[in-house]
Amino acid sequence: MDRLQKVLDFCIRYQTTLSYSIVSMLTAGSERIFSSVVFKCPCNSGNMLYGYSFLLAPAFVLLLLGYMVNAKTWRLFTGTCSPEKHLQCCSWRTCARFCQVLVPMTAKALVAPLTWIAVALLGANFYECAASGSSLTASLFCKNNTNYSQDQLFQMPCDEELSAKMSSACLSFQAQSQLIGWFLIASIMSAALISTCVTHCHSPVSYLQLQFWKIYSSKEHELFESKAKEHATKLAERNTNCFFEVTKPAEFHTPSNEDWKNVSIFYTFNSQEQYYSTLHKYVNTNRDKSTKFKEEGQHLTDLAFVDETQTSVSGL
Amino acid sequence: MDAFQTILKFFMNRKTAIGYSFMALLTMGGERVFSLVAFRCPCSNENFRYGLVFLFSPALVLLVIGYFLNSKTWKLFTGCWVNPRKIFPRGNICHFFYVFGQITLNALVAPVMWLSVALLNGTFYECAMSGLKNPAYLQAVCHSKSENCFEELHKVACDKSSLPFSESDELKRTLQAQSQILGWCVIVTTALLSLLTTCCASCQSKVSHLQLMFWRVYEGTEKEQLEQIFQLYATKLSERNLKCFFENKEPEPISLPAFQAWEDASQLYSFSNSKQHYSTIHRLVEEGQKGTSEERETMMDLADRREVP
Repeated sequence: MDRLQKVLDFCIRYQTTLSYSIVSMLTAGSERIFSSVVFKCPCNSGNMLYGYSFLLAPAFVLLLLGYMVNAKTWRLFTGTCSPEKHLQCCSWRTCARFCQVLVPMTAKALVAPLTWIAVALLGANFYECAASGSSLTASLFCKNNTNYSQDQLFQMPCDEELSAKMSSACLSFQAQSQLIGWFLIASIMSAALISTCVTHCHSPVSYLQLQFWKIYSSKEHELFESKAKEHATKLAERNTNCFFEVTKPAEFHTPSNEDWKNVSIFYTFNSQEQYYSTLHKYVNTNRDKSTKFKEEGQHLTDLAFVDETQTSVSGL
Repeated sequence: MDAFQTILKFFMNRKTAIGYSFMALLTMGGERVFSLVAFRCPCSNENFRYGLVFLFSPALVLLVIGYFLNSKTWKLFTGCWVNPRKIFPRGNICHFFYVFGQITLNALVAPVMWLSVALLNGTFYECAMSGLKNPAYLQAVCHSKSENCFEELHKVACDKSSLPFSESDELKRTLQAQSQILGWCVIVTTALLSLLTTCCASCQSKVSHLQLMFWRVYEGTEKEQLEQIFQLYATKLSERNLKCFFENKEPEPISLPAFQAWEDASQLYSFSNSKQHYSTIHRLVEEGQKGTSEERETMMDLADRREVP
């Protein structure tokens, strides 16, 4: 029991890393399955379309799934263009805010698609089929491929002898694919490192405060969930009892629609105040009924972890 | 015990994703079983009909099952013959189509999964299209093959044609490739459409994000509470009735909601921005019972939309 608890604590502490690793492994596994079971290069003029559709369509679908699963997407979009906010919908401020939040969200959603493309390129089946369908790609890597007719090129993925002959003269399609794959992996890793460094450089808070902030965010979300469940249970009990006993309902304090709206705003950091979330700020400013509770603040992208860990309650 | 609770909570929180993955695996397994065990391409002029039936009938069956399993369907249709005004309330004719559209979108998930898996596999499409007698299509597929291709294409799926092996192999590969490309198109289009519709719906939501989350939790809890209270009252009432029957006594009064109260409580809920009610029962309890409520704003009801059957 103790060991299980320790394992669980480890999992909870590194849950982000673990979840990304699991997603990558699942993507790599399904790519291998697709490549060996489902993929059969037609070896005719349809090679290019076939190969590229297997390479890019799953990546696109994984990107869309990545957006859908990320709770921040819905936090960003919910209620943005509702009829009463119509005037604010297309202001410069809203667009800038959108872009600032969209970039880290896209980066997170890109993990699975890029894993798919990288593993697919390393596996070489898809690219081989696609490249053999287009004389342009073939001539880019093999200057003296004038010996081969278009038909022979089409047949290359299905004919091992032919592709062996080609690889003796110049780089085979498989080798090209793997080179491109490694280049992609290396550039993604470097880009990830550089962007993380730059983000940390631009962080408005110090390292220890950032650590505390992350822990505060996750704790607040946890407690929000359990408080919401408690509150909902009490309200549901009151309503169903009153319905059945045909009595008048007792007074029940629940946050108003306005309160909810104000608390759902994306958090923006302000170095003059010391608030760790929108809820913190709202509660401290004493639920000021005036509409002055606007989003003021400069730094958004650095605080990507804030408003993040809400996948559990969003249900996806 | 704590550890198990944490693990259970982790899985319960992701139950939608787990549910969809399970459905996808089930679809894949079912499709494999069908294509290996039940599907035998006739390799005659009936190929086209046979292949299409195998492709679309399971999808239709899954759609119907989807309708059956969605509790909103029954909420919408129960009692509509007795009181048609329920479905078409005064001044709000489109309400029915709106709700029915939502139910249909939810029910379409399984059929689309079946179609994409079946198309990616390629067996059904290969059989169907090898039997298509459209001259333009035949021209496109057979254009650099021997003369026999036009007459014997339907035998290619069973390897019974008189074409040389390389040609029949290429024809099979071409048909499979077409099927798989079509399958990817279906998947990409569905994913894109569902993301766009969900985004649009979210954008126009009158409810803020956190309130929506609370609303979902409230709906789940209210459902649980209703079940419990049904059990409780049903037990009380049946105990009282049986006791009075056997002991030949006068029954004591038990207060239960009136017929009209049940009718009002069974209506589908629509959010109203000015009030703060989280369900029909909540609104009824706070405002008392009206006859038939006239002012019902029909907005995209995200809480009901995400209801798990």
